[in-house]
Amino acid sequence: MLIEPIISVNNLNKYFFSPDKSLKIDAVKNVTVDIFQGEVVVVIGPSGAGKSTFLRCLNGLEDFDSGTIVIDKIPLDHHHKNRLEIRKEVGMVFQSFNLFPHMTVGKNISLAVRRVRKKSVSECDKITVDLLEKVGITDKIDSYPGQLSGGQQQRVAIARALAMNPKVMLFDEATSALDPEMISEVLDVMKNLAKDGMTMVVVTHEMGFAREAGSRILFMDNGEIVEDRKVEDFFLDPIEDRSKAFLSKVL
Amino acid sequence: MIFVRKAVFIDSIKYILFLSVIVFILTVSSSNMNYNWQWYRVPGYIFTYSADGSLEAGRLLKGLGVTVRISAISLVLAFIIGMITALLRLSSSFAARVVSRIYLELIRNTPLLIQLFVIYFVISPVFNISPFVSAILALSLFEGAYASEIIRGGINAIPKGQWESAYSLGMSSIDTYRYIILPQTFKQVLPPLTGQAVSLIKDSALVSTIAIFDLTMAGQAIISETFLTFEIWFTVALIYLLMTVSISTFVHYLEKRNSYAH
Ligand SMILES: Nc1ncnc2c1ncn2[C@@H]1O[C@H](COP(=O)(O)OP(=O)(O)O)[C@@H](O)[C@H]1O
Ligand SMILES: [Mg+2]
Repeated sequence: MLIEPIISVNNLNKYFFSPDKSLKIDAVKNVTVDIFQGEVVVVIGPSGAGKSTFLRCLNGLEDFDSGTIVIDKIPLDHHHKNRLEIRKEVGMVFQSFNLFPHMTVGKNISLAVRRVRKKSVSECDKITVDLLEKVGITDKIDSYPGQLSGGQQQRVAIARALAMNPKVMLFDEATSALDPEMISEVLDVMKNLAKDGMTMVVVTHEMGFAREAGSRILFMDNGEIVEDRKVEDFFLDPIEDRSKAFLSKVL
Repeated sequence: MIFVRKAVFIDSIKYILFLSVIVFILTVSSSNMNYNWQWYRVPGYIFTYSADGSLEAGRLLKGLGVTVRISAISLVLAFIIGMITALLRLSSSFAARVVSRIYLELIRNTPLLIQLFVIYFVISPVFNISPFVSAILALSLFEGAYASEIIRGGINAIPKGQWESAYSLGMSSIDTYRYIILPQTFKQVLPPLTGQAVSLIKDSALVSTIAIFDLTMAGQAIISETFLTFEIWFTVALIYLLMTVSISTFVHYLEKRNSYAH
């Protein structure tokens, strides 16, 4: 039986120029990886390794220079329509929440469902209430983001992404901007999502989350995937020197 | 809050001092000039009795009506022009960026009076445009250029994350502008745009040079007939001041009412 990957990345390259244009930085270098339905892929690596850039390429927030990305059988190419289709199926959660400050929590969650998925108002309302329940903040539907704690804001951001009913969720250091006491409330939501079978690509420094909820580790350094292993194998027996050095620092 | 009140208090003191100095200079100079104050004649130019004895607007008030109409229409047009120009300048189309840039440079680097004359003397005969429309055209093109820079600055000040989260939800550029970027921009640019509206009202006095009977022109005409130079100019200035101050106050009130929690 042949199972098709939901995300297929082939030989992806993305470079930036340094601010003075003199230096070419390979942010993502020859990345090839297939991700299958239900996998929770945890991307780790030192700062500047290219984790964010890789993630942002996956939903077309960043244009890449060569290689291919296919998500849910849709190629991410120069066709703008494909890019929009992929974004409907790929939710993203940012380090800095990025909620819409001029809208209530309810409106934050329902806006794209209404405008992009074209659901009726009553369907939107139902989706909003259900998701707020899922992330555990039912009483804040009429609050503005500025009235919520960081942890609550990030849970709303997760609900907002889930409202589109995506096939894949991307998390870019979703807990890095949070006060320590709020990290676990967000990680718990993410763990529950993983349990429910959501396909997830998670950039994080939370090794506890990686061990508990992750199925696979991508260790990146200098834009490359240095190691692509099952979670247990990676933590028990890292192969590459760079992974070993990194683990000795974070564990 | 205390700081704001203190600032207002200091401003008021300065204002009163300033007024006292003006009044002092005027009293001295008018007595030196043997100026004959005739304030009692001024109300007749604000309200007057028509032939059948009913109260109607005097010449100054009629002029004010013209000024208000020209300013209001120009304000709306300037906003629309400013909006479109800002979006063109930020668009990905090279041609759109060039066209909007040329318009901006042209308007911002020539005097409004000359623009008004070019439209009135050169363009309006060709297209058979009335002085009233010429005035509106000149004012809205002029203030629109400045409004567009204000709006563009406001759009650029919205954090990149707002675009990214909208895009990551699959939203189109148009929807992102409409629901996410512009509503936040307007909240930010309302104060500077109000300043621009105040400029527009003041600049509208220039239309008196193309034979439009606005407030300034009405004042000029009355003075040339009656020599009530000081009284009429003070009255005219006061009317402009009332207009601009009420706009600023109204916008300030709107701002306070619509502010959301941060
Ligand atoms: N917009 C950009 N312009 C220039 N360089 C960038 C930009 N974004 C990222 N980079 C560079 O690309 C490399 C990878 O960055 P990033 O993907 O943010 O790494 P990570 O998320 O792993 O910390 C870094 O060297 C970073 O400086
Ligand atoms: Mg990063």
